[in-house]
Amino acid sequence: MTSAWWVVFRKELRETLRDRRTLFVMIAVPVLLYPVLLIGAEQLFLFGARNLEGETSPVAVVGDPPTTLLDLVDASETLVLTAVPGDLVEAIRSDVVTAVAVVGVANDPDGTREVTLLFDAASDRSQRGRAQLSSVVGAWRDTVLVRRLRDRGLPATFALPVALADSSIARPADMGGYTLGRILPLLLVMMTVLGAFYPAIDLAAGEKERGTLETLLTAPVPAGAIVAGKFATVALIGVIAAGLNLGSMLLTFQTGALQVTQAIGLDVSMPLAAVALIFLTLVPLAVLFGAVFLGLAVRSGSFKEAQNALTPVYILALFPAMLPIFPGIDFSPLLAATPVAGVAFFFRDLMSGDASWGLGGLVLASTTVYAGLALVFAARAFGSERVLFGGDETADVPSERWTSRWFKRAASDRVPSREAALAFVAAIAVLFFFGGIRLQIAYGETGLLAAEWLLLFVPALLFVGVGRYDPRGTLSLRAPRTGHLLAGLLLIAGALPMIWLIGWLQSFVLPIPYELLEGLEELVTAQSWGRFFWLILILAVTPAFCEEIVFRGVLLGGTRTLDPWRIIALNGLVFGAFHLSFETVIRFLPTALLGALIAWAVWRTGSIWVGMLMHFLNNATIVVLTSLPAMREFLSDPEAPPPLWLVPVGALVLGLGMVLLDRSATFEVEQTAHAVRGP
Amino acid sequence: MPTRHFPLVFMINFSALSKRYGPLEAVRELTFQVEPGEVYALLGPNGAGKTTALRCLATLLKPSSGSAYVCGVDVSVDPLGARRRIAFLSSSMGLYQRLSAKELVTYFGRLHGLKGVVLSRRVDEMVELFAIGDFSGRLCGKLSTGQRQRVSLARALVHDPPVLILDEPTLGLDVLSGRTIHDFIVQERGRGKTILLSTHQMEEVDLLADRVGIMRRGELVAEGSPTELVQRLGAPNLARAFLALMSDWALVPGTGQA
Ligand SMILES: Nc1ncnc2c1ncn2[C@@H]1O[C@H](COP(=O)(O)OP(=O)(O)OP(=O)(O)O)[C@@H](O)[C@H]1O
Ligand SMILES: [Mg+2]
Repeated sequence: MTSAWWVVFRKELRETLRDRRTLFVMIAVPVLLYPVLLIGAEQLFLFGARNLEGETSPVAVVGDPPTTLLDLVDASETLVLTAVPGDLVEAIRSDVVTAVAVVGVANDPDGTREVTLLFDAASDRSQRGRAQLSSVVGAWRDTVLVRRLRDRGLPATFALPVALADSSIARPADMGGYTLGRILPLLLVMMTVLGAFYPAIDLAAGEKERGTLETLLTAPVPAGAIVAGKFATVALIGVIAAGLNLGSMLLTFQTGALQVTQAIGLDVSMPLAAVALIFLTLVPLAVLFGAVFLGLAVRSGSFKEAQNALTPVYILALFPAMLPIFPGIDFSPLLAATPVAGVAFFFRDLMSGDASWGLGGLVLASTTVYAGLALVFAARAFGSERVLFGGDETADVPSERWTSRWFKRAASDRVPSREAALAFVAAIAVLFFFGGIRLQIAYGETGLLAAEWLLLFVPALLFVGVGRYDPRGTLSLRAPRTGHLLAGLLLIAGALPMIWLIGWLQSFVLPIPYELLEGLEELVTAQSWGRFFWLILILAVTPAFCEEIVFRGVLLGGTRTLDPWRIIALNGLVFGAFHLSFETVIRFLPTALLGALIAWAVWRTGSIWVGMLMHFLNNATIVVLTSLPAMREFLSDPEAPPPLWLVPVGALVLGLGMVLLDRSATFEVEQTAHAVRGP
Repeated sequence: MPTRHFPLVFMINFSALSKRYGPLEAVRELTFQVEPGEVYALLGPNGAGKTTALRCLATLLKPSSGSAYVCGVDVSVDPLGARRRIAFLSSSMGLYQRLSAKELVTYFGRLHGLKGVVLSRRVDEMVELFAIGDFSGRLCGKLSTGQRQRVSLARALVHDPPVLILDEPTLGLDVLSGRTIHDFIVQERGRGKTILLSTHQMEEVDLLADRVGIMRRGELVAEGSPTELVQRLGAPNLARAFLALMSDWALVPGTGQA
């Protein structure tokens, strides 16, 4: 008799391969992902290499310039010699020229000639012109000096007893390809695990939801055979996904079909044996996640519920796979025995050609053990009728009941109108702009602290109290779920590098004012632990409470009737505009984007606590980073781009956060239902 | 109570079967028997415990206490043996969306251990019996409710078992499709099959059932042939009898609480 599990397996495989979503994740994504990634990395590399100093500046040279100087200015690629007929100052103010060199008369051939550079210190354009003109004048000075020395029979090196030069050891490869190479293990793990994701849900929770499990279990087949058949399908799909990803990756990077691999220094030429070995370790990985996912999915009542249960597991599983991205971590037996991490590190080492066979064996063995345990977890679910038909004991949460009753008694379910909320925020902005800045000037940091609590937090509470609004609805006081908080953490972790990148890109358009470079650093640098906690209090904790209650509380609560994207865009814009009062215009876009992101999270979850957590994490991270001596040096140049490896990682984490939040939040669905019901 | 002649072997035998979900006792001390070739209808309002009782019989749920037998086989002791003897049609009519009608019937045939020529012949029989031929190659996800119901029946009967358990077989069907199912039940009864079905519809019971069991809050509150029940309760028809039974029950103090 044909084994029952084989019958189940063949049917499940056939059905799964008819699922468009599975096919998409399994085939279309790997085929497209790697070439797109490569092209993206190349673009980023080229963009990063663009020379900021390459722009030209119109300048004038007046007075008594010798032709040697004029020739040099003419020859300079960055300067455009421009005639200034009238007033020099006016010419600079009106941007006719960026800077003017006023060259004095040479009375004595061996004497000193005065050169004055006229420029506008308040204009970044003028400053750049001055710097470029200054270097040309410097070069001219050097040629004069060399000529004078030669005339006296001295070598040119006479006036240069010491030659000091900087030499960066960074290769272009360190920027693009190298990073990409480190990300590949993560991607491979990600795609393998993702391959098992939808089939597991479909074969377990999906079957339950559609009511087919009931008929399947009336067949005279032991539960074990059903699990085995389903599990074999999920694992096989994971393995196929792994194989296709590995294949596509190697085709993209190894065949040199795209020339850029050499250009960006990416070299993933692996011997066939190594490829086979990687594939071999991916098999138990697929088995492991096939079993974990199946076990979780069968415990969920519906497709949606299963997605909610699986997504956090998927995200958590990716963290160990991210470890190889960070430089300086050596592959150890402990890492080899760590689920997921072992596979990722082994892949990294195989790529660089110095893999240890012992550790590879350990990875294979430990992953197999984990896979076995996961299989037991999955099999047990199929033996339990509670799991299969849901003993839905709807556990009452007394505390939640209590709070909702309390708030119902305290107030109506009235929320402020759009106009009321906007008027309140406008009023508070004016108040803060005049009162807050004054407090800050008079009392420094204590003034800032007082301004936040007295001019933002207290007025917001008064507004809700006096207006007799429902605090719960207006301020989104819903208790967050763990998934929400985890998503908030991921969103901020991912958003920080992206906002950094955006700030850097913006600096091409809006240059960073020079006075900002020092001032900001001073404020947020902690030299002692006491100072550190104080900074955390005033710069992270306080804004998290005070600003959130205004923007994600009142403003969001009052605008909930708008289209979702309008709510979020408006919130970001107002949040960004509000910060113009104590920051410069260059911070507008990053702040607005951050505000919009937090607004989305709060809107989606109905929980301001998620927003407070995100705001706190964002600000605290900046305080921590600028307080670390090592980081301070690294960050001291605000014009520097973020490290390239951070960008894809940030984008990935941000994306994961969004997916997780989207999956775990149900609030706006209820909101819509409410809006349809209510007038 | 009129005396009845009990045959030696019951095809279906519920013996003081109870099923609880946590604190809720969905089925309480259920006892009744179905004879060979009989059509027995379980009648009851929503939540009476009909589906729960049928699921226990079909080995999908484990009884909390008591037992159930199919052809003398204790479903708790030999669930696989019991499953071979029954066709179970659930009210959800779950079908695999991405299998064609024929593939689905074949799959269940295989799960029941059929193979080769026997399997393909049996599948062809089913396709003919339920007039599935026109759409046997179409994916089940694309079928209409009536078509799905026919495929479900073919799926349930592919192994030709002696006992049929049908949970609300005409749910969501139009009059015509419902008639097809009724004709099918009559026909299967004629072939000597024993049929236990649950329903809300009085006409269905009048038309098909040899005997009726009325359930309320997990308990069997009345049993007998439709005419017997009508007579005993002094009602003009079965629907009135049913309503009387329900309201009467609610009037008795102390029984409304679960
Ligand atoms: N998996 C379960 N977990 C908890 N309670 C359940 C479960 N399944 C059913 N119940 C409860 O058991 C009781 C009986 O349900 P059952 O489905 O057997 O009734 P039914 O007579 O088939 O009703 P209907 O006519 O609506 O189909 C109901 O109160 C129901 O809520
Ligand atoms: Mg039912």
